Amino acid sequence: MIEELWLLLAVLLVLGWYLTYTASRLDRLHAKVTAARTALDVQLLRRHMAAIEAGRHLDPASALLVTDAASRAMAAAEHDEESRGPERDPLDVPDYLEPLESEVSRALTMAFPAGRDTLDAAPADPFVDPFAEDARRQLVQACTRVQLARRFHNDAVAQAQRVRDKRVVRWAHLAGHAPVPQMVDFDDELPPGLSEG
Amino acid sequence: MRIGLVCPYSFDVPGGVQYHVRDLAENLIERGHVVSVLAPAEDDTPVPPYVEAAGRAVPVKYNGSVARLTFGPVSAARVHRWLADGDFDVVHIHEPVTPSLSLLALWLATGPIVATFHTATVRSRAMQLAQPMLRPSLEKITARIAVSEDARRTLVEHLGGDAVVIPNGVRVAAFAGASPRAAWQGTDPAPTFAFVGRLDEPRKGLQVLLDAVPSVLERCPGARFLVLGPGEADDQVAALGPHAAAVELLGPLDDAAKAALLRSVTAYVAPHTGNESFGIVLVEAMSAGAPVVASDLAAFRRVLGEGEYGLLVPPGDPRALAAGLVEVVANPHRRAVMAARASRAVGRYDWSRVTGQVLEVYQTVCVL
Repeated sequence: MIEELWLLLAVLLVLGWYLTYTASRLDRLHAKVTAARTALDVQLLRRHMAAIEAGRHLDPASALLVTDAASRAMAAAEHDEESRGPERDPLDVPDYLEPLESEVSRALTMAFPAGRDTLDAAPADPFVDPFAEDARRQLVQACTRVQLARRFHNDAVAQAQRVRDKRVVRWAHLAGHAPVPQMVDFDDELPPGLSEG
Repeated sequence: MRIGLVCPYSFDVPGGVQYHVRDLAENLIERGHVVSVLAPAEDDTPVPPYVEAAGRAVPVKYNGSVARLTFGPVSAARVHRWLADGDFDVVHIHEPVTPSLSLLALWLATGPIVATFHTATVRSRAMQLAQPMLRPSLEKITARIAVSEDARRTLVEHLGGDAVVIPNGVRVAAFAGASPRAAWQGTDPAPTFAFVGRLDEPRKGLQVLLDAVPSVLERCPGARFLVLGPGEADDQVAALGPHAAAVELLGPLDDAAKAALLRSVTAYVAPHTGNESFGIVLVEAMSAGAPVVASDLAAFRRVLGEGEYGLLVPPGDPRALAAGLVEVVANPHRRAVMAARASRAVGRYDWSRVTGQVLEVYQTVCVL
């Protein structure tokens, strides 16, 4: 009888250790996703600003297109933060994000088509804008970092989802009320006119 | 930035990962970053000033080749001290799943961790079995880099998740600007072919090239085969009998000699039989302007632009390889076109580009 009790105690101890271990691993993964998501939001904001700045050096039609897409995405993000306040879950992927960011990428692709550089392309323009090259560099960098940040974010989400799917996590409610992290999917292709050179 | 690089393989022995880490470190230092490289090395081995020796490396068979690795409690303590002293903004670990310093560093490091996966190994049983143990450590990686589409695919299949592709870097200018050596230069009746790689590693394909020697000599009697790399191959060459004189074993030469060799020869041959994830020597040969004849492996096919920048031949087939070499000799126009396209395509592998891409990754993970 005593032996059985000892055995039971040992099993409970191991189980307890395993549950604590898995819970802290899950906690780490949630923290990683949150950090990756914040990084992505920062890079998206940088891309909005870089796109608007680059718009000042484009032909008027492209400029309007790019500025419109970027400022709409930026306004939506601001509105989302204000309307939901501090209790907003940082992992939540708001509905507007994916379509509006794809829209920004599409506008940039149209403004920077393959084969030529449209910044200050107007041949008759007598003055050479010294800021155009800087704006271009900033935009290339912002677009690249959005790509990287999104991929690292989704990589973290995939790992968190795998642990969330474990039976022990579901049965023991180790995740508490935390929502399952979601991937962020939008078109983040580098505009062809920017990826050259 | 303060950057800590971890290399799992010993700097005493040349190898792709070691060169990559060394060149990355030097390019980062050139741009003004503070870099420390942790690598296996004996305490009395001369190493560059930015390398921290982590102790003796033991030869171990791993992933089909013999690797010199460092592990055990003493190494773990050194890794710990290196991390504490370095106070790095980002730790960049190369080949994180090798049973060496990399895995120890991954286990001990905190803060942003970037990891580069170099291999495109096919389903390794050890990795499969060790997965549950490795996974929590691998989850600490903030950003994963794969050196090629093939390495990325392996990574995604085995470990899930995703990675960004940043190719291995090459000092394009060093190869493009090397002076050819007359002794190695090919002429019309006497073309020269270069092989570069470990002689005793079957997957590098030296035997396939040696088997192709007689048929090449039949068509081009003056051809010479210049073999560069460490290892023993005297017996294999002697087995060619009367044809053995056409093969010259140059031994392991330094980078300058390798560049000169690739600048001099009629063509560079890559007869690898498989398990390659990138093909850095192909890019070096392309930079040096040497036409490339290579095995049709997925990684090589990609580097050679589906055959636009070099000639692809079926792997492990000496007859096909011989035919490819003869074709390249017989057709100087095709050779010139391939080499010209290749020298334009190598720009994306130049260290100036690659270092910039790696820094973008560092900046992205350090944003918080």
